[in-house]
Amino acid sequence: MGLAVPYVTGYLSEHFADDGFASLDGYERRGGYQAARKALKMAPSDVIELVKASGLQGRGGAGFPTGMKWGFMPTATDKPKYLVCNADESEPGSFKDRILMERGPHQILEGILIAAWATGASTTFVYVRGEYEHPARCMERAIAEAYQKGYLGPKVMRSGFRHDVVLMRGAGAYICGEETGLLESLEGKKGQPRKKPPFPAEYGAFGMPTTVNNVETFCHVPHIVARGVEWFRGFGTGKSPGTTLFGVSGHVVRPGLYELPLGTRLDEIVFEHARGVPDGRKVKGVIPGGMSMPILPAGQLDVPMANEFLRERKTMLGTGGIMVMDDTTCMVRVGVVVSYFFRDESCGQCTQCREGTGWIHKIVERIERGAGVPEDLDVLLDVAGKMEGQTICAFADAAAWPVQGLLRHFRADFEAHVRERKCPFPASFEL
Amino acid sequence: MSPIRIHVDGHELEVSEGRTVLQALDDAGLLMNGVDVPHYCWHPKLSIDGSCRLCQVEIEGMPKLQIACNTPVRDGMVVHTLTERVRRAREGVMELLLVNHPLDCPICDQAGECKLQDYAYEWGVEQARTREPRRALKKNVELGPTIVFDQERCILCRRCVRFCREVPGTGELGVFQRGDASVLETFPGAKLDNPYSMNVADICPVGALTTRDFRFKIRVWFLEDVPGICTGCSNGCNVDLGVANNRVYRYVPRRNDQVNDTWICDAGRMSYREIGAGGRLREAGVRDAAGVLQGASLESAVAAAAARLSRLVEAKGPGVVAGVASAHATNEDLFTFRRFLEELGVENSGVAVIRGEADALLVKAEKAPNAAGARAMGFGPVSTVIDRIRSGAVDGLVLMGHDVLHESLLGGVQGLARLDTVIVLDTHQSALHRVAHVVLPVRHAAEKHGTLTNHAGRVQRVRPAVEPAWEAWSDGEVLMRMGDALGFVGWDEGWDVRATSRELSMTVRAFAGITIDSVGEGGRPLAGPAGDPA
Repeated sequence: MGLAVPYVTGYLSEHFADDGFASLDGYERRGGYQAARKALKMAPSDVIELVKASGLQGRGGAGFPTGMKWGFMPTATDKPKYLVCNADESEPGSFKDRILMERGPHQILEGILIAAWATGASTTFVYVRGEYEHPARCMERAIAEAYQKGYLGPKVMRSGFRHDVVLMRGAGAYICGEETGLLESLEGKKGQPRKKPPFPAEYGAFGMPTTVNNVETFCHVPHIVARGVEWFRGFGTGKSPGTTLFGVSGHVVRPGLYELPLGTRLDEIVFEHARGVPDGRKVKGVIPGGMSMPILPAGQLDVPMANEFLRERKTMLGTGGIMVMDDTTCMVRVGVVVSYFFRDESCGQCTQCREGTGWIHKIVERIERGAGVPEDLDVLLDVAGKMEGQTICAFADAAAWPVQGLLRHFRADFEAHVRERKCPFPASFEL
Repeated sequence: MSPIRIHVDGHELEVSEGRTVLQALDDAGLLMNGVDVPHYCWHPKLSIDGSCRLCQVEIEGMPKLQIACNTPVRDGMVVHTLTERVRRAREGVMELLLVNHPLDCPICDQAGECKLQDYAYEWGVEQARTREPRRALKKNVELGPTIVFDQERCILCRRCVRFCREVPGTGELGVFQRGDASVLETFPGAKLDNPYSMNVADICPVGALTTRDFRFKIRVWFLEDVPGICTGCSNGCNVDLGVANNRVYRYVPRRNDQVNDTWICDAGRMSYREIGAGGRLREAGVRDAAGVLQGASLESAVAAAAARLSRLVEAKGPGVVAGVASAHATNEDLFTFRRFLEELGVENSGVAVIRGEADALLVKAEKAPNAAGARAMGFGPVSTVIDRIRSGAVDGLVLMGHDVLHESLLGGVQGLARLDTVIVLDTHQSALHRVAHVVLPVRHAAEKHGTLTNHAGRVQRVRPAVEPAWEAWSDGEVLMRMGDALGFVGWDEGWDVRATSRELSMTVRAFAGITIDSVGEGGRPLAGPAGDPA
């Protein structure tokens, strides 16, 4: 099956090898939609408490506690409430949501139904990354099946609960994965994150109370409801429970998806599961959580993949997209690729991000060309520092952190470019 | 609801719920006036954008710096705007804003009133660290008939975008592309040509948007700002008159939340040109025996006017004389005119007001600044005067201004041709001069002290911004001297606008307690009802 099925599976992906699992019948044969039936018999507030107790953290990158987020939705309001399933997976290095949509779309819909019941949402907007043609079709097919079966629509599973799911395709902007940038795009506007306050739970899609969750986050919910908090907390660490889908790419023998408990060591994932770097070369650095997360050098891979441990190494889990680079890699070229991406994708409203991403890219690109000066390195760190934590959304942080990470661990690469006035890594990937 | 108190740099502020820190400072009159929180995208009369990031402040209990423009106040909040962290953040924003800025202040017309320049000096870094080329973008873009745009200087604060969407509601402008490729432009096919378009130049903090009318006329540091009132209609928008070399170079709106917020319509803004342009009445005139209007000194013209009036009243009594007041004159002028007519025994009078288009924002139908003042003074509609003229009952007419020519019932200046005595006090030349026996040049509202009453009955101050290059008195002074020549008792004291203002406040009930010195810069509402009857 290649990429379509994780090499290591867990509760999310154990049936992904079964082609029928993507259909409603196949999903139900494997016990699907039982958790939703169970949840609909519970009080909504009890469902929220259950998810809170499970310790589930959002899998979209920020790791915000899911139950707490649901709890922000107002209960005393006469406005319609909305959910958004964030399927705009656009973090370079991340490809888990795509597989979750292709292989298990009903698992997502069941999670959506439970979340909708818990928060009192009348409609869920599934916002799918523009480039994800096939995943969008898989989701659309599943949504149609669920309507036909009466699992969506005016009387969900013959209860008095109404829920609608609307699929919307993005147009290819990274920033539309940021939850309020997504809401703007959803409303047909230019994808630019909104200032907060107001937060989406107060003023979200079309001005209504809204909760935005990542695709994978929804997928965990039916399992928590079906099998309980204790079972769920049997996976992962105390602070970061459950499994996640690690996407491994780059210089490894077996790139692909691996469903493993949070807290699994990075070196175990890289060397055992992904079978290390090919052709007898060595690892130089690993980006642990998608391109916006700071890189770790080869000597620091003995870290459990959970935020409480990664933070000590000044990086984060992000979306779990692990990118491995071998010892031929020029880290300045990595910097050029990364900084170009963020320069290109910055929405441009905040001063620091608009100007900082461009400036950083220009400097790194100049260093790679051999035209760097020694002061450039400190300017890079200074500009990154001025961007970090000062803007409407976390994009500026996401643009600043990788540069900081590269300079923290691979300053020597940058210095060698400046000293030799050329790139000293001729065997590295080409720009 | 218990009041919310916040502390900002040691100032205690009582603020209303739902306001943000920057709004609270603005409400208290402290913003940039005791508490300096530099800002670009925030504007008191536009929606909050939160994107320039310059107004970051430190708030106790919050780990990150917060933007003051969008952080709601909470009771007991303690805000610091001058900490080292804040200073560093401001420095960062300023440095980044200049990464792509052309730094062309020596040839930029905004220099001297540029917030980028000001804040860069105050908060920025001295040396640029950029080695990369700056963005090369469009220069001298004509966004519409009034505004010229320099794309390179734009800092993308989007004030102009929000203005067009939120104030005139026309939405011609947008920011296109993303990241450091972002550019301000008009939407395809759109022109920035709404009736309020020039306000974007005022709110543009940098030299990106300038008005075609004012740009390159003069360096702004040569201008003195004299507070005054736009005379284009009865809204009475507050303006600063930019003055140098005894010339008014521009009007810029002056904030008055009761009148015009921070805006002015383009037509009103351009009305500054009526002060100094051709068409002003620059010399008094007296019609000689041959029927030719001969130039005369103001003093001799006043004497000639008094003599004609005196002769007429002695021959036929004051019942054949009528007066037409001008809604362009000040309250003090109009009060003097009222007293003048009373002393003469004239009962038939009215005020001529040109009516035109109005809009839902600022523009009012009455195209003069003091129609409400004239009405409050007791001047009724001019139609009663015209009726009497048409019936042949009027032989003498004292006219302030020439707006009466717009009254269709008068039948133009020919309607006055048979009158024995026509005396005209005016700022500008008009067709009236073909029939007038005496014409007397008077001062524009920008050339004298006084007050004007706007459509809503707000009395507002004007003061001399420029001095006419010819001999001209205010209407009140002309009338005072004419009254003296007519032998009115007590009219020999000379013109004193303050004394007149005090007397007005004691005589006319609507003006009780309102004098030239008590209205302040923001104006004060009339005590009684006044306003546009239509």
